[in-house]
Amino acid sequence: MESLFATIYSLLDTALPFSWAASLFMKRAFLEIMLISPLCAIVGIQVVNYRMAFFSDAISHSAFTGIALGLLFGINPLLTMVIFGILVAMGIAKFKARSDLPMDTIIGVFFATTIALGIAIISARKGLTQVLSTFLFGDVLTITEAEITVTIVLFIVIFIFIALSYNRLLLSGINEPLACSQDIPVRIYNYIFAIILAVVVTVGIRTIGMLLITALLVVPPASARNVSRNARQMFWYSLIFAWVSGIAGLVISFYTDIATGASIILVASLCFLLTFIINLARR
Amino acid sequence: MAETAIELVNVSVTVNQAPLLKNVSASIPKGRITALIGPNGAGKTTLILAILGVIPHEGEIFFLRDGRREITRPRIGYVPQRLDFDRGLPLTVLDFLTLSSQRRPLWLGYQQAKKNRALEALREIGVEHLRGRQIGRLSGGELQRVMLALAISRDPEILLLDEPAAGVDVSGEVLFCEFMTRVQREGHLTMLIVSHDLSIVTGHAEHVICLNRTVQCQGGAPEVLTPENIMAVYGPHAGLYRHGQDTRPGASATCVHPLHYK
Repeated sequence: MESLFATIYSLLDTALPFSWAASLFMKRAFLEIMLISPLCAIVGIQVVNYRMAFFSDAISHSAFTGIALGLLFGINPLLTMVIFGILVAMGIAKFKARSDLPMDTIIGVFFATTIALGIAIISARKGLTQVLSTFLFGDVLTITEAEITVTIVLFIVIFIFIALSYNRLLLSGINEPLACSQDIPVRIYNYIFAIILAVVVTVGIRTIGMLLITALLVVPPASARNVSRNARQMFWYSLIFAWVSGIAGLVISFYTDIATGASIILVASLCFLLTFIINLARR
Repeated sequence: MAETAIELVNVSVTVNQAPLLKNVSASIPKGRITALIGPNGAGKTTLILAILGVIPHEGEIFFLRDGRREITRPRIGYVPQRLDFDRGLPLTVLDFLTLSSQRRPLWLGYQQAKKNRALEALREIGVEHLRGRQIGRLSGGELQRVMLALAISRDPEILLLDEPAAGVDVSGEVLFCEFMTRVQREGHLTMLIVSHDLSIVTGHAEHVICLNRTVQCQGGAPEVLTPENIMAVYGPHAGLYRHGQDTRPGASATCVHPLHYK
């Protein structure tokens, strides 16, 4: 693995002969962003399609409790964060299937409960507060090679899944009975997608922070929608906007000392504003 | 008696302790047009959704081939009453049709064969000119016709239509009428149609199921479509409309543009 990273670093030295990309931590941050931002974009397209932004927010905030639990029991908080995120996603999906309360109400209840649980743990153990700021705002500059490796594996697995099921997910999001009529196992896809979303959100928190991760899922696809006329453009524009925001945000944060997560989202929001104006001008 | 395509045995659907359907037992004949009629809230859409497997039900729904109950479901084309979807979605009509037939993700382009089939279906319904339009920008009537094209593009064995002519303009109605006549003539397709349009029911249906939470009557169209039954389902004004008309299946299936009556 070490030799693989050494090769990647030397390739990056040739491809990016800029001062911001000279240090090792910036190369690692660059790699992580190159992977996590398109991953967020392709999952985000379906989040927008399924209207799951609030769901995603609930998962990202549940990470707070996942981390607190990990710190409390002395387990790797990154692991407890991902597992807790998946459990919350499954919990919401299960509740939805058995209740006729509106989806946002169910999510609201889960949201509040998990946050309260997290605050309860943290307030009881004062020493935990410091570690949490890393997760609140994200800290891609301290990302490790092991974490990048996890992201690479996730990237490959999720990209393959999305490629195989993209059309079906899109149709399920458009209209569930219609998807059912075409023999698409909608419920199974919903569960798998909820798990994938939970994993991407919690893994992305290291880079963007739990406060802003949903923005990286939602804003690039939203910008893409402003300027797309068909499904193909929607996909590629989302990907491009995510990459541009990620890389530009990283470079800006290097020169200005702004938190990387925040500068990425600010660039993404600027893209949204520009595409919104372009869309208005076209009408 | 025609061969049965779908057999419903004691199908009940209960949502929040409210019974939407109770012990519905009926057979839908193969290769025929069956009309599902009943007052508002009778459970017609619920029954269609139960057949599709969208909502859980008690009892059994069997699909039959050569008189035998099939394990695998046949290909179904479905046109919902109203397609609720996100109208801002950047999806063209051609995207929409290929979306359901091809596995290759749409962002890698169309598969030629799937694209051709989609275009053929659009042509068949007379809406090929809409291929590049976004589905969210179609009028109600255009969308219904695109939905019908989507349903037939799957080369279905069974077609489930839930108020397919609702919101369709006059030229759309003529086109729809012609489509029904063609289906009837070819006789390959089993069709279950929910309609409040009496002319569609009297003009095309060969078999009729009257539903009001449970089956009120079923059988061949001439036997079931009595003035009493029509009055019960469609209200007193329907009787005037029907007065003097021949209710034999296909009797009023001449697809004439109403403006030509002048």
